[in-house]
Formats: sequence, structure tokens, C-alpha cells
Amino acid sequence: MELDLRGLSFSFGEKQVLRDVSFKVHPGEFLGLMGPNGSGKTTLLRCLMNFLPAGSESISVDGRPLDAFSPAELARTFAVVPQSSATDFSFTAYDIVMMGRIPHVSSRIAGTTKEDASAVRSAMERTDTWKFASRPFYGLSGGERQKVIVARALAQQSKALLLDEPTVYLDINGQFEVMDLIKRLNREEGTTVIAVLHDVNLAARYCSRIALLSHGMLEAIGPPKEVLTPEIIQSVYGVDVVVRRDPFTEAVYVVPHTISSLGHAHGTHAHLLCGGGTGGPIMKALVERGFSVSAGVLNVLDSDYENVQDLHLAVVAEAPFAPISEGAYAENMRFIEDSKVVIVSPFPVGPGNIRNLEAARAALRAGKLVMIVSPAPGKTIDFVGGKADAAVKDLISSGAIPVKDVHELVSKLPMEGTG
Amino acid sequence: MMSRTPKASDGGPDADLQHVVRRRKLILGLLLLGLIGSVLLALLIGTLGPIGPGNPERISFGDAMGAIFNLPGDRPDYYNVIFWEVRIPRVLLAGLVGAALACAGTAMQAVFRNPMADPFIVGVSSGASLGAVIAGLSGIASVAVIGSFVSPALAFFTALVTVFVVYSLGNVRGKLYVDTLLLSGVAVAAFLGAIVSFLIYFRSQEYHRIIFWLLGSLSLASWTAVGVLAVAVSIGTVVVFLYSRDLNALLLGEETAHNLGSDPETVKTLMLVFAAVMTSAGVAFTGVIGFVGLIVPHMMRIVVGADHRILVPSATLTGAIFLILADALARSVIAPTELPVGIITALCGGPFFLYLLRRSRTGGET
Repeated sequence: MELDLRGLSFSFGEKQVLRDVSFKVHPGEFLGLMGPNGSGKTTLLRCLMNFLPAGSESISVDGRPLDAFSPAELARTFAVVPQSSATDFSFTAYDIVMMGRIPHVSSRIAGTTKEDASAVRSAMERTDTWKFASRPFYGLSGGERQKVIVARALAQQSKALLLDEPTVYLDINGQFEVMDLIKRLNREEGTTVIAVLHDVNLAARYCSRIALLSHGMLEAIGPPKEVLTPEIIQSVYGVDVVVRRDPFTEAVYVVPHTISSLGHAHGTHAHLLCGGGTGGPIMKALVERGFSVSAGVLNVLDSDYENVQDLHLAVVAEAPFAPISEGAYAENMRFIEDSKVVIVSPFPVGPGNIRNLEAARAALRAGKLVMIVSPAPGKTIDFVGGKADAAVKDLISSGAIPVKDVHELVSKLPMEGTG
Repeated sequence: MMSRTPKASDGGPDADLQHVVRRRKLILGLLLLGLIGSVLLALLIGTLGPIGPGNPERISFGDAMGAIFNLPGDRPDYYNVIFWEVRIPRVLLAGLVGAALACAGTAMQAVFRNPMADPFIVGVSSGASLGAVIAGLSGIASVAVIGSFVSPALAFFTALVTVFVVYSLGNVRGKLYVDTLLLSGVAVAAFLGAIVSFLIYFRSQEYHRIIFWLLGSLSLASWTAVGVLAVAVSIGTVVVFLYSRDLNALLLGEETAHNLGSDPETVKTLMLVFAAVMTSAGVAFTGVIGFVGLIVPHMMRIVVGADHRILVPSATLTGAIFLILADALARSVIAPTELPVGIITALCGGPFFLYLLRRSRTGGET
């Protein structure tokens, strides 16, 4: 099924909900429709179903304009899985799936045909819902109900599935069950899927393309990694995010920045000696309180290096897995000289990065304020045979201020202008 | 619901589903037999009947059957009159009105997606009451021969006008909003009810007649009434039945119905029109008989499930049986005086309904 949208616009009275949306959906695609609340996703779906009349020329299916379709033809073209389905009336799961055969009924007098029965049975077996076919629909769990609705959509034997946030009311297990089922149908049976999804990561994981709507306009369309970039998400949703890559599926996933400004940006320079991810919470606390933060020396690929990148901080970097070189050490010292305070995170110490502790000692000698976060005498993560522990003790005895955690750290930090 | 979940589920869903199909056929068969049985029973019950007070004389069972089936035999001529001019039309009318109310109630509960909806929800009863009161007060109803036609005709007319007004109020730019329709129905019914009360308040001699009419009675049964109802009910129930799949879909919401290839606007309008015509025709001849249209669909939904392909025929048959038996009771409990049948339907229907409701909510679930 080839779906073609050309300049689709729709208004509720004065309020224009969709403006000039154009894109194509190809056979066998899994297209995610995304966008903030009120961006027009659900309206677009309703226009596709002709539940809202969008005008004659803007939507065509396989080259045929949508308003040439009768209601039954339309239901044989698209099957809809809504957000949730509930009814107080005592239908069995089987009754509900049988309703998917309504667009195939040849006449009102006709009873259930063999084709109807076998379509329903096959749909329920493929969705693993046959086992509760005779149970009342309202007694099923949310996830089971949603799978029954997917079965109904399959019994409809339509060319494409339209999903309207099909997992929004499901727990995490139900979400994956339903989405995996739909993905399997898409992959194994070539069913075209168009899904309104709220969850960016669910979309990134399952969709082959994503169409991103904003204020009723098509903002971007393409594969998830092209559409789900921090820049586009910032411009559409107005939130800062970090885009990562799932190590197992290679799918991109998006994590919101949790950094929020808690004070004015006074720009006091703090330099952070860290590594192994121990610096993340400290960076966050410092950035939130308006410090200008730099970090070093970090190996590229170290998780603190990624943290620094995500926060766009200045960093002294070393090649992956390489020990700190003379050049990197010297650059690190220049950052320390510029800084008002040097902070040491409880990073694991090995032969490659022990020079970061030497840098802290040098900072003390140069009269810098040095603070050590949660030093644990005797318990420093030490891969250098006790040298790290000794170095930490030496730092404290030479005047570095130990603080037990990030909270104590920020309470004791000096700020420019306040002292 | 419990009654649809078969006890023996060892055979898995296949056995369960076959069981459901067999059960549906069985229930329809039993209801057909029940209808025939209750017609015969109701014909035999009554003053002078083989069953009943038998005062001042008792018609023997053989004579009664002979009169009913027009068999040759040695019996007084007026036996035939009793059965063919009075009792048979009355029993048939009871069955037709019961069927009309139950079928219309089923359709209305689906259209409003609300099990508390009944055939009178769009103002049929208040509209018909106004027509009947006007006929009574203006004296037309008392005119010989014509009166017995004019009064139902006027009630039928005012009922349909009322439904049309309520329908128009619920219709906004070609779309029928059921919540607006519901509230319009309530408001219009209250308004017309006030007018009816106002009219009868100043004509207290009409009071008894009106109350009798408001509680419903089959004592004015005639072959004319049977004929009119037979046409209305056969067309109405067939239309509702032909749309059973659409009613199923409608219960899941209008958007879902649309997405399943049904056309909710057409379905809602057709159901309202045919339910209103059936109900108005019934009300015009028998007054407002409550509870049948509310309870019977609900009761049958507990027994056969919500699928309208079985629910519509079984509720229609049950409505007929229920009203035939209720009327038989109404004319024999304190014979020779008759009770308004509405009192019987409420007295029997209410507690039985509550029993089913409790049973379906509390136990028996396999």
C-alpha cells in the first residue's frame, strides 16, 4: 500500500491543526508519527481514516483519492489500534475480534462465514490471544486487551495498521509485548505500520522512519538517527537531550538533560580531576550552580569524557586507553592555574591516570584551593598497589579539603563575588 | 459474563466457542417455545377462563381451546366473542408491545452506550402522554367510534413530534451527539410532564383516566391496535436486527465503529427513528408501560452476552413473553378488577433484575 499525502491541511473552526503536510508512506514501512501534544498527530490519523474530512485531493492511497473510498473499503485499507479500548458491555475477546470482519460482510442478512471464522482464529493465534478467546473482554488485563485489539486489526485483513499510541496505558512489559508483536507483523508479513508514538525511545527502537510534526507542520522525516538529533528535538520539543546509542540494538535513544539552572551564572572557574563516570554528578551540580567547569585529563571514550561532551564543557583529552602524556599533563596544569578551585572526584586510579593525583598535589603547591569528594582512606579504587591511597592521604594532609559528598562540596565552594 | 463462560473449559477455547453457539441456538429455541406457551397460558387465564376466578361461570378447557382454534363444538356463541374479540387481540397486543419495547430498549442502550437507557429516553412517553391528555380533555376521546382511533393517533403523533424535537436538539451540524440527545430528552420530558400535570390539575375528573394511562394498560386492545403494532414491530425489529453488527461496533465508541467500516451517524439515526416509531405505536394504544424496555435487554445481556446478533432476537422474544405474562397477572390478581400492567412489570421486573445483577457481579465466574 502506497500512501501519499500532498499538502494536507485541517482546521477545527478557526484553529488550524495541520498545515500543508506532505509525505509518502511506502509498502512495508514502519513509520512513526511524533510530535509534542497538540502537534496534530492524532488529527492526521483521523484524517487518514476519513473520520475527519480533510478535503478531496490531499490524501491518496495507491493513487486513488481517499474520499472515493466507502467506509467499508477504508476499513479494509486501514485497521486502527486506538490508545485503549474499554466497554461496560459483556463481549468476549472472540466477539471483539469478530467485529474486525464487519468491513468484509457481504450483506446484512449474512451470518458468520468460514472465512470470517478462520480469519478471526488465525489473527488470535498470531497474537497469542486464542487462549482467552471465550473470556470476557473487560476481564482481561490492559496488555491482553490491547493484543486482542491488534488481533481485531489483523482479522480486518487491511493493507496497513494505524496505531494511536497503542502502548500509552501499558506497563513496560506490556509495551514491549505489543510493540514486538507489531514489529514482527511488519517484518514477517510486510504489514505497513503507521504509528503515533509519544515515547521517543520506543519510536527510535521500532520505526524505520519517523515523521516529526510541530504545530501541525512536518518538521522532519527520515530514519530515527537523522530525525532524533539533539538540535531537532530541542527545536520541536524545547528540551535539551542527549542522544545515545543502545549498545545491543544500535538503536538511538534519547536521555533528557536533567541540568537546570539553580543560580546565576557567575562563571567561577572550577577544574575537575575525574574519570570513570565519577565526575558526572559533580559536573551537574557545578553547572547548575553557575560555575564554569573544565575537566581533565580524560581518555576519549571514558564515560566522564562523554559526560563532558554532553554538557559541552572544556576538557583535556587523552587518546583512548593511553596513559596521560606530558602534553596532556601540561595542558591540564594550565586549566588548573586558571581555576579558582580544583576538585578531585573519587575516580579509580591506575597507572594511566595516576598523574591526575600528581596534578592535584601540584595545584596545592601552587596555592590553589583543592577539594576531594568522598575520599575513603584505604578504600580508594586503586590499581597501582596502594600508591593512590597514599597520594590521597598526602593530599589531605597537605591541605586539600575532604568533603563527604556532592552536597557538602557545593555548600563549601567559594563563588566569585561572595567570597 | 459468567453465564457465557462455560463450566467445562477442558476443551479450550474451541470447545467453549462451540458451546456458546449451541447455547445460543438452544436459548432461541426455548424462547420460541416459551412464547407459544405463554400465549396459550395467557389466553386461558382470566375471568370465565379455565384458569382464574371463574366467576360467575367457568369455561372448560375444551371449550376454550375450541373457541381459540375455531373448532366445531357445542358451546355458547359468546365464548367465541370473548376469545376472538377480547382476549386474543389483547394477548397479541401484549406480545407485540413487549417485543417493541424490549427491541427499542436494546437499540437505545447501544446507541447511548448506556445500559440505563430505555425506549422512552428520547421523550416518547411524555410526548404521547400530552397527546392522550389533550384527546381526553378536548372530549375527542369520548366521541363514539372515532374517539378510539383519534386518541391513539394523537398520542402517536405527539410522541413522534417530541422525538423529532429532541433529535434536532442533539443534532449539531449533521452530527448526532448522544450526550446532548440524552440531556435534551430529559429536559423535554420534564417540560412536557409539567404541561401534562398542569392540564390534569385543573380537570380532576380526568385524573383517574390519565393515571391509568400513565401506568399502562392493555384493556383497550383491539384488532386495529394489533394490526398497527404488527406492522410497526415487524419492520422495526427487522431493521434493528439487520444492524446488529453495527450496534456491536457502536458499543465500542463511534470512532471505533467508523474505523470498523460502520457508519455511526446513519446507524444512530435509523435506530432512533425505528425505536421511536415502534415505541410510539405501542404507547399510543397501551399507555406508558415501564421497565420492560429497560430490564429485558439488560437481563438478556446477562444471559446471552452483548452480541446483538443474538441479543436483539432473544430480547425481543423475552419482551413479548414478559409482557404477555405480566398482563395475564394484571387482569387476574384481584379479578374482576384489573391492575395497570405497569405496576406488575415494575413489581416483578425490579426484584428479578436486582437478583440477576447481584448474581452476575458476585459469583459463578469460572
